[in-house]
Amino acid sequence: MAKEIVAMLLAGGQGSRLYALTQNLAKPAVPFGGKYRIIDFPLSNCVNSGIDTVGILTQYQPVVLNEYIGNGQPWDLDRLNGGVHILPPYQKASGSDWFKGTANAIYQHISFIDRYDPEYVIILSGDQICKQDYREFLAFAKEKKADFTVAVMEVPWDEASRFGLMVTDENAKITEFQEKPKNPKSNLASMGNYIFKWDILRKYLIEDENDPASENDFGKNIIPNLLKDGRDMYAFRFDGYWKDVGTIPSLWEANMEVLDPENSGIDLFEDSWKIYSRNSGMTGHTISTSAEIENAMITDGCCVDGTVKNSILYAGVTVEVGAIVDEAVVMSGAMIKSGAVVKHCIVAENAVIEENAVVGNETGVATVGPGVVIGKNAKVGPNAMIRENVKDGEEQC
Amino acid sequence: MLSADSKAMGIIFPNSFDSLVSKMVELRLMASLPFASRYRMVDFVLSSMSNCGIDNVAILPSKNYRSLMEHLGTGREWDLARKNGGVHIFPPFAENRGQIANGRIVAINNILRYLRAQNAKYVVMCDSNLAVNFDFKAMIQAHIDSGADVSIAYNEQALPESFLNSDDVNKDYYYSFDITEGRISEINVNPTEGVHNLSMNIFVLERELLIKLVKDAFDHGLIHFTRDILWAKRNELNLYAYKYEEYVARICSINSYFDENMKLLDRENLDALFGAAPIFTKIRDDNPTRYLKGTKVNNVMAADGCVIEGEVENSILFRGVKVARDAKVKNCVLMQDTVVEAGANIEYLITDKEVVVSKGKEMKGTDTYPTYIVKGYKI
Repeated sequence: MAKEIVAMLLAGGQGSRLYALTQNLAKPAVPFGGKYRIIDFPLSNCVNSGIDTVGILTQYQPVVLNEYIGNGQPWDLDRLNGGVHILPPYQKASGSDWFKGTANAIYQHISFIDRYDPEYVIILSGDQICKQDYREFLAFAKEKKADFTVAVMEVPWDEASRFGLMVTDENAKITEFQEKPKNPKSNLASMGNYIFKWDILRKYLIEDENDPASENDFGKNIIPNLLKDGRDMYAFRFDGYWKDVGTIPSLWEANMEVLDPENSGIDLFEDSWKIYSRNSGMTGHTISTSAEIENAMITDGCCVDGTVKNSILYAGVTVEVGAIVDEAVVMSGAMIKSGAVVKHCIVAENAVIEENAVVGNETGVATVGPGVVIGKNAKVGPNAMIRENVKDGEEQC
Repeated sequence: MLSADSKAMGIIFPNSFDSLVSKMVELRLMASLPFASRYRMVDFVLSSMSNCGIDNVAILPSKNYRSLMEHLGTGREWDLARKNGGVHIFPPFAENRGQIANGRIVAINNILRYLRAQNAKYVVMCDSNLAVNFDFKAMIQAHIDSGADVSIAYNEQALPESFLNSDDVNKDYYYSFDITEGRISEINVNPTEGVHNLSMNIFVLERELLIKLVKDAFDHGLIHFTRDILWAKRNELNLYAYKYEEYVARICSINSYFDENMKLLDRENLDALFGAAPIFTKIRDDNPTRYLKGTKVNNVMAADGCVIEGEVENSILFRGVKVARDAKVKNCVLMQDTVVEAGANIEYLITDKEVVVSKGKEMKGTDTYPTYIVKGYKI
């Protein structure tokens, strides 16, 4: 049955700058905000926007992500017609290829999109934290009768050269595209979310695939090609909360912003725009008489006997008596033992911080990888990325 | 997994002992009573069945079952949305076809046709007033090993006061056993105070035998399974007592409801109830609970979705509870979406869902008489 719009979610990213966290999982599967993973945001946005057909393009370390998505039920995407589908690169009669670039990933799954015969395709980036109503985005694209629409954010001029920038006229029509330019002519940064007319995108994907010089990338090839041909291209301004969590400091910062919805603009308590996730199924968290809690978010299954300030505890975290957790992001199942101090850092899933160990201080964000054990009295300095166990009493900076 | 020859199906009676907490079940039944910060009573036996490979469960309500239907949905959260089996609610028939079930015999008789069509060898039957993480596999195995006709689980405990004090004419019967070498030699109907081998009303027997016993009893106008069948036939049937020594939270009054919730603030009890196998419940997709600056929390169990700004001590908070700044909550059980507004001060309250304690209001029950506030009420 035909669909008006189909979403394609690019989730193959390695997230190399998060490497301590992405050894065994793709960036979109990185846990976020207490009980979510990054991919929950675009997925929930789709569902809340009435998009019920979503293809997830995976490549790098897909196992955790595949298991997490499952049949899509937590997002209400287990549908008879449509629903969520994991789309990996696959072997074809004429050979097999990894995805060569973002555009090639979509190209390899043209037949998936064709099955729904959609009018529009929305391409979403699977590595950003953002609550966006794609209905408004689509309404804009329709109103402009656009072949291509990109969601853009106004960024400070001095940061503009880090982004792909859209130069527009007074009708929001794109006149020029600058990829990370030295001299920005615009401060409208692409969020990496596009709406294409499917027939147009289809044509350009095929042409791009036939061009041996192409890198098969949306930013580098497809969008410039459309612009060159004078297609109707528009920029849709988004002014809500948006964050690319591609680095440890930005991931940490985004978590801290979740703690401060009044000022940061990212409010996960809104009933009208829920973010869905696969649930831990653990029982309520418990806070004992020895605990001290201030400005924190605590998820099901946590046991807190120590001090937790300005921090987020994901499901099933243990904080023992006398431990101090401050400005920290502590992911599922991690254990902060008695007397340990965990400050200004990210402690990944199932990591263990043994008695009296110290992780991080006020400065750069330290990261302890999944399952890593930081031994008794050991010390982990700021900005450290720890992937291997640290022995008792050892210091790592 | 249950082996093919010990395959069992489940039957749950969700209205049993409603009369002991009559105020709390005006709009629901025992099975849908919220418990332990994010569960409903039925979750415990239903999850236990699911965990033990009992994947075909009949639920036989007699009344007030709307909240239960909403809670269970398709049964997916308990892994009981199945093509073959799964969870089924059998609402009572209207008057001209069958009878409104007053006891187990009538209720089971109403589903005889369904029971006959099943292929499980054994039936496990239970109520939903017990929060237990029950190993039905072990009980079925013990039943098979004992060669008994019917096995009944019991625990050794003092008779709850409320059993004696209830003057409700519709009150449920309760039973204790005299046990000789594992066999039940006498069933005491409504025994008086003291420590007893108190029946947990968890039964294991062969499906064919259940059908035969119930059909026969129903035809003779009998009502209560234990009193009218097991007691009457105690010399004929081989009845085996299965001693249960794990954690049991038995809800039999508003006081015991309060106490059993509070007991879970002790981590040992919490682990004893939840440690063995997962207990499933309906997912609400709440955000993690948020504690703001200036909050004071001490000895609290809270589910997701709460926003705490005030002081909370010795309390159980269900999903979505809000405690505003300068509010004080002490020794309370606050069910889903209770709101305690700024400056309010409450002690020894059980607030049902969506209760609002308005700004600055003060209300206190006592330790021996926690005050229950009905659903949606604004103080």
